[in-house]
Amino acid sequence: MNELPQQLVNGLLLGSMYGLVAIGYTMVYGIVQLINFAHGEIFMTGAFGALTIYLYVLPDGTSMVIALPLMLIGAIVVAVAVAVGAERFAYRPLRSAPRLAPLITAIGLSLALQQAVWAWYPNAKSSITFPQIDGGPFHIGSVTIQTGDIFLVIAAPISMAVLAYFVMKTRTGRGMQATAQDPDTAKLMGINTDRIIVMAFALGATFAAIGGVAYGLKYGEVNFKMGFLLGLKAFTAAVLGGIGNIYGAMIGGVVLGVAETLASAYISNIPGMEQFGSQSWADVWAFVLLILVLLLRPQGLLGERVADRA
Amino acid sequence: MTTQTTAPETPDTPAVAPQSGLIGIPPNIARVLTTAGAVLTVISTFMSWTWTSDFPGDLTVYGYPGGLQILVLIGGALTTLFALAAHGVKGLRHTVPAGGYAALRFAALATFATAWYTVIAISDELGGVVNLDPGAFIVAIGSLAALVGALALPFEKPAPDPIDPDDTSWEQFKNTASHKWETVKAAFAAGSPRPVGPLPSYVEILVIVAVMALSLLVFTYGIGTQYDELFIGFLITAGFGFAALNKAGLVAQATQITGRHQNITVCGAFVAAALFPFTQTDDQYATIGVYILIFATVALGLNIVVGLAGLLDLGYVAFLGVGAYAAALVSGSPSSPFDVHFPFWAAALVGAAASLVFGVLIGAPTLRLRGDYLAIVTLGFGEIFRITANNLDGTSGPDLTNGSNGISSIPDLKILGWNLGAPHDVFGFTIGRFANYFLLMLIITAIVVLVFRRSGDSRIGRAWVAIREDETAALAMGINGFRVKLIAFAVGASLAGLAGTVQAHVTYTVTPEQYQFAGPIPPNSAFLLAAVVLGGMGTIGGPLIGASLLYLIPNKLQFLGNYQLFAFGVALILLMRFRPEGLVANRRRQLEFHEEAEAPTVLSKTGA
Repeated sequence: MNELPQQLVNGLLLGSMYGLVAIGYTMVYGIVQLINFAHGEIFMTGAFGALTIYLYVLPDGTSMVIALPLMLIGAIVVAVAVAVGAERFAYRPLRSAPRLAPLITAIGLSLALQQAVWAWYPNAKSSITFPQIDGGPFHIGSVTIQTGDIFLVIAAPISMAVLAYFVMKTRTGRGMQATAQDPDTAKLMGINTDRIIVMAFALGATFAAIGGVAYGLKYGEVNFKMGFLLGLKAFTAAVLGGIGNIYGAMIGGVVLGVAETLASAYISNIPGMEQFGSQSWADVWAFVLLILVLLLRPQGLLGERVADRA
Repeated sequence: MTTQTTAPETPDTPAVAPQSGLIGIPPNIARVLTTAGAVLTVISTFMSWTWTSDFPGDLTVYGYPGGLQILVLIGGALTTLFALAAHGVKGLRHTVPAGGYAALRFAALATFATAWYTVIAISDELGGVVNLDPGAFIVAIGSLAALVGALALPFEKPAPDPIDPDDTSWEQFKNTASHKWETVKAAFAAGSPRPVGPLPSYVEILVIVAVMALSLLVFTYGIGTQYDELFIGFLITAGFGFAALNKAGLVAQATQITGRHQNITVCGAFVAAALFPFTQTDDQYATIGVYILIFATVALGLNIVVGLAGLLDLGYVAFLGVGAYAAALVSGSPSSPFDVHFPFWAAALVGAAASLVFGVLIGAPTLRLRGDYLAIVTLGFGEIFRITANNLDGTSGPDLTNGSNGISSIPDLKILGWNLGAPHDVFGFTIGRFANYFLLMLIITAIVVLVFRRSGDSRIGRAWVAIREDETAALAMGINGFRVKLIAFAVGASLAGLAGTVQAHVTYTVTPEQYQFAGPIPPNSAFLLAAVVLGGMGTIGGPLIGASLLYLIPNKLQFLGNYQLFAFGVALILLMRFRPEGLVANRRRQLEFHEEAEAPTVLSKTGA
């Protein structure tokens, strides 16, 4: 079992990517009680934004040291634009509508974004190769970190720290907390809740965009469908950690990533389960985990919210 | 204070001034113009519109109309009828029970849109207006004249908001723009028709028969359109034409009559649907018919879950898949690992039961929680079902579903010695394979409609609606929320499973890729939900119409091809924004969605 540390690190890396995307779900949910289904697609447009910068803006052969920050900015700009636009034109008019209406809008938005990229982005009908960082894998003891994962190793903790600082220390962040607790009272206290909601969408999109770049670097390619399953997993992570809780999203992501990695690595060792261990079953196990959590601890790992709050 | 004193002195100025049309032509001339234009349109459809038969439908013949001309002829005739009624011709008053000119405007719009679409399509496809024959020019002028005349007819305009001098110019612009929009809306608005007095029963039943026959005719025509242009023309004419009939008050009267004889109406609808295969000479359109019916039935099942109980199920197609796989496994197919061949009734039970089990397995942990969890868990279940079906191929899992190849060569059904795979001759009509399955599927649809109606009106159904509207209040009233929701979810799942058992036999093969969340071919979960939402949540007719449209539009309009899913996503967003209650609005839902806007009219309607 000396590969266990390796598997744990793999799970941790995968999980922090889930966590980055899950933040967007949990923030929007915490404030407007809306599952933004289109968030997975915002993650996808972020990755494509970064790709656009590399392929069509920067000259060929730009070193990744220069290109990566610019790509990151491109990703964030695109993702935030899409998210804020969606909030303004699709979700805001429905804020007082019955609960089903914005959910259906979100599904429509998710499909429309996916198909728009598929139809109009050059060569996006199949996977597009994502630029890679040069250099070999790193070895720390018996653990190997692939080159593509290095970005994640650096970006995920920094993002979390920045987010924690923002939410706890800044005025807007505390306004966000207040709005999440009680939007009407927050409004009475002089908080511009419309602005806070836009901020929640924008912040969520920012982290999704970082996640999108991380995905591209990790898997070496991006495609128009990548947001669907990852969005589903990220939402699972958000529920796992306790939806509405920002730290919960990150922890839920890590737990989900580790569980998924360990499941595909070790389940085949269990007698009678030999055939269920391969990578093709990983998604199934992630989902089974979600069902188990909902059964046993519906408020999530960190969630103090009552699960059936209206 | 000044406004208060001046208002009584000039009581009739606001009443007189708005009594003009959108276009400044005296009403009498407008009326003549409309009638003349409509008559001209009707005449022109018997003329040649283009010199070559390159344009589909052969519009070159003098003497009888063809293709799109028939649609224009119908529109023109309707416009003529309404225009004559507007002249006050005796006996035609009954065609516009709601009064006013809104119906005439819509009829003229239908004719104009179809005619001009045809003329433009001819010029565009054949390269220039030189390809038009005199008939085309006559129809263009005639339909335009009719539309101009109809728009010039007087109507009651809304009073403009007083201009606030403090407003910025942008706000003033917004005000005037919204007033203009209100005016246009008022031009197309109609009063509520007077209620139909009790007619002799046989007359009312005849009316129902006529309505059913008309629906069958429209549906059959739409399914049989052979080229893109005709289908677009059909959509234009049918859409505006229905609006015209609606504004004329005829739809409301028909609804009243059908409402009095609900059971006869439902039976009549099934008879009309069952007659559909007999109107077809070959199996080509029966194929489309049976796929629409599968899609519509599953959508109706979903409507129990989404429309009645308000539970958002995003993986509904997986239950269809469970039913289809279950039926396929016991069908005696060579690629099924089980060497059994159940009769259909047993296979149908197995399929429904399997879906029921999965429905309860998925529903039990999630339905205790808030609805959003259900949405995501069902979405996950939909994906997991597909992945699992893909994996159970013997290499990456136990051999059950034959992986991505699916279970193929599912044998045709034999029910009571009737082989559904072979064509039969009934009363001189040939009923092909797909027509057989159409009739079988119709029985399943009948079961679903029966379950929908009976459960919707029952104690449980009312509990569903109560929970949908306000769960906290419903729980406080003593409804066992979890139990009731689980019943809704399980019923919906098993109905989908039942439909799946037929689907497996119709398609010969079940593969995991048939059961995606979103894909180009309905039914898939996103399209099912869209059919429910587009048609109208909580209604029976809504999902049927929604499913027909959502199946026919991609099927008929091949040029949409790659963009149909995109268009579909955008349509969902716009629909939720502007008409969240769908095409066929459930009265209660409509009130819910337009609480502020329509409260006064609602009060007056219930008061009247």
